[in-house]
Amino acid sequence: MAAPILEVAHLCKYFDAGRAVSGETKKLKAVEDVSFAISPGETMGLVGESGCGKSTLGRTIVRIHDPTAGRILYKGEDITRRKNKHLLPVRRSMQMIFQDPYASLDPRCTVGDILAEPMAIHRLYTKRERASRVQALLETVGLKPDHIRRYPHEFSGGQRQRISIARTLALDPEFIVCDEPISALDVSIQAQIINLLERIQDERGLSYLFIAHDLGMVRHISHKIGVMYLGHMMEYGQTADVYDNPYHPYTKALLSAVPVPDPKTARAKQRIVLKGEVFTPIDPPACCLFANRCPHVMARCRRTEPPVCHVAGRRVACHLYTPDFLALRRNGENPIFTDPPDWRADIPV
Amino acid sequence: MDLKTLFLPLDVSQKNDEFIAMESKSFAKDVWQRFCRNRRALFGFVLLSCIVLLAVFGAMASPYTYDGQDTAIRNLPPHAQHWFGTDKFGRDIFTRVLYGVRMSLLIGFVSTAVNFLVGLVYGGVAGYCGGYADMLMMRVCDILYAIPAMLYIILIMLIFGSHVGSILIGICLSGWVGVARIVRAQVLSLKEREYALAAYVLGSSRRRIFFKHLLANSMGALLVTVTLMIPQAIFMEAFLSFIGIGISAPMASLGTLAQDAKTYFQVYPTQILFPIGMICLIIFSLSFISKGLEEAFDPRNRR
Repeated sequence: MAAPILEVAHLCKYFDAGRAVSGETKKLKAVEDVSFAISPGETMGLVGESGCGKSTLGRTIVRIHDPTAGRILYKGEDITRRKNKHLLPVRRSMQMIFQDPYASLDPRCTVGDILAEPMAIHRLYTKRERASRVQALLETVGLKPDHIRRYPHEFSGGQRQRISIARTLALDPEFIVCDEPISALDVSIQAQIINLLERIQDERGLSYLFIAHDLGMVRHISHKIGVMYLGHMMEYGQTADVYDNPYHPYTKALLSAVPVPDPKTARAKQRIVLKGEVFTPIDPPACCLFANRCPHVMARCRRTEPPVCHVAGRRVACHLYTPDFLALRRNGENPIFTDPPDWRADIPV
Repeated sequence: MDLKTLFLPLDVSQKNDEFIAMESKSFAKDVWQRFCRNRRALFGFVLLSCIVLLAVFGAMASPYTYDGQDTAIRNLPPHAQHWFGTDKFGRDIFTRVLYGVRMSLLIGFVSTAVNFLVGLVYGGVAGYCGGYADMLMMRVCDILYAIPAMLYIILIMLIFGSHVGSILIGICLSGWVGVARIVRAQVLSLKEREYALAAYVLGSSRRRIFFKHLLANSMGALLVTVTLMIPQAIFMEAFLSFIGIGISAPMASLGTLAQDAKTYFQVYPTQILFPIGMICLIIFSLSFISKGLEEAFDPRNRR
């Protein structure tokens, strides 16, 4: 396989969350020890519930946020600590599409200004070349040439998202972070935008980091998938593997919630309904963060953080998949329910 | 009936998908049109324009000067030669009021322009940098704001003498704080907007984002406040002159005119009526304009 275009290793992003009474700074751990790699032409899907740090991860990769720890390698170059001034060449080929097409376009600029701005920032092309490139961009994303003098508020949500896709394409990027590009759109428009993104990927060999909470869409578009929960990467592997046979209890619960179009199969399907509240990401306890909601919780889940286990080409952060535990299971024992039934009593609050 | 003749397929070129019917107009044009539709605002605008034109050209055309005395025609009521009458030295009140309006408008516009520019830069820097710089800069503002403006002005008057310059310095010394606070608040909220982040990811420098995206978008809220600052400054000057520490004789300002006339108020009421009426008209028209702008900038009024 070709060298990855983006490599993220043990990336952490903490935010200050005020001071505790003791005077210690509280930390909001938005992203904690996340690692993955994306090859050229590949799409990696990132899923998880709201507030699990997906968007923060995406924004940290494009360096809107400065990473707290870990490394970001873009085409083999370490850009983790690089100053904004020296990021310009990287910015040219690494772009981002934002979630809300109503907020990501400056209401005071015409579409022409918006699309020409990236080229103006990087001082590329002459004025005339820029104009013809803007026309070409509009055509690529399926808008009309006479839209160039229009203002963003005159467009529908889908059209606006096309404009912001065109803006990211203005610099011929190789990698795009798509931060929930379809979640603000109607279902019928979502398909159009996804098709557009796929077509552009085929034409230009782009790589995507596709952040979403629509699991069906992620399965459709991505080659790899990462499942996040409270800043941690719970499971990471090839999309088909993860969807067909999820390992992590959280992934299982998440996938069981995907709606099925056929009512007969839907009725037959067993849904795993999670109980309990999500831990707060502010100074989380040093244990498995899913412990208070996990149907398979064990004593050790509440004592120690699960190690990242490599199982069948996948990475799972769960005590159920540690080598010693797997060995026990292979011996025919079923150690999952050996915990006392009142295990919920000693959950750290 | 034959269905084939009833329904004919259209040519693909005639497909009318997501056609934008509304005329394309820039934000400024849109605001201007909404401003003009607001009758009260338009009235204020026309009135202010008339007052400005009159103050600039009317005083030039007048056969009298603001300090030309004529003891033969003291304290005349309004008549054909002296439209607003004359004062106790026989000076033409109409000309003096026009000069007063000039002075008031000068103070109003210049002090507001200075406050606007200083506040814009200061608030913009504080809001954009954030963190400790912001904290420090805003505390400086708080300290300036805590001392009453009147105190500065009186002290400055004592040191530099009573003329336009010292009033301007006095008003501008702390007047920009209000603008700075608004700009800071605007920038703080706008810089987290996705279009600012998008520009950042595209590689924009901070300065470019600030001037091209943040300032342009906070202009609306700013203009409204700024138009309200003009009457404040005018009123401040009139007040200072009225209590006798503003513009000194023989220069005329609306405040000094009112002050001069107040002693004869019961005998010659017209002498105080005209300058005060003029202050009212200016302040009314500016308030109308400000209100109109506020409504025009409000996106909910977009039609």
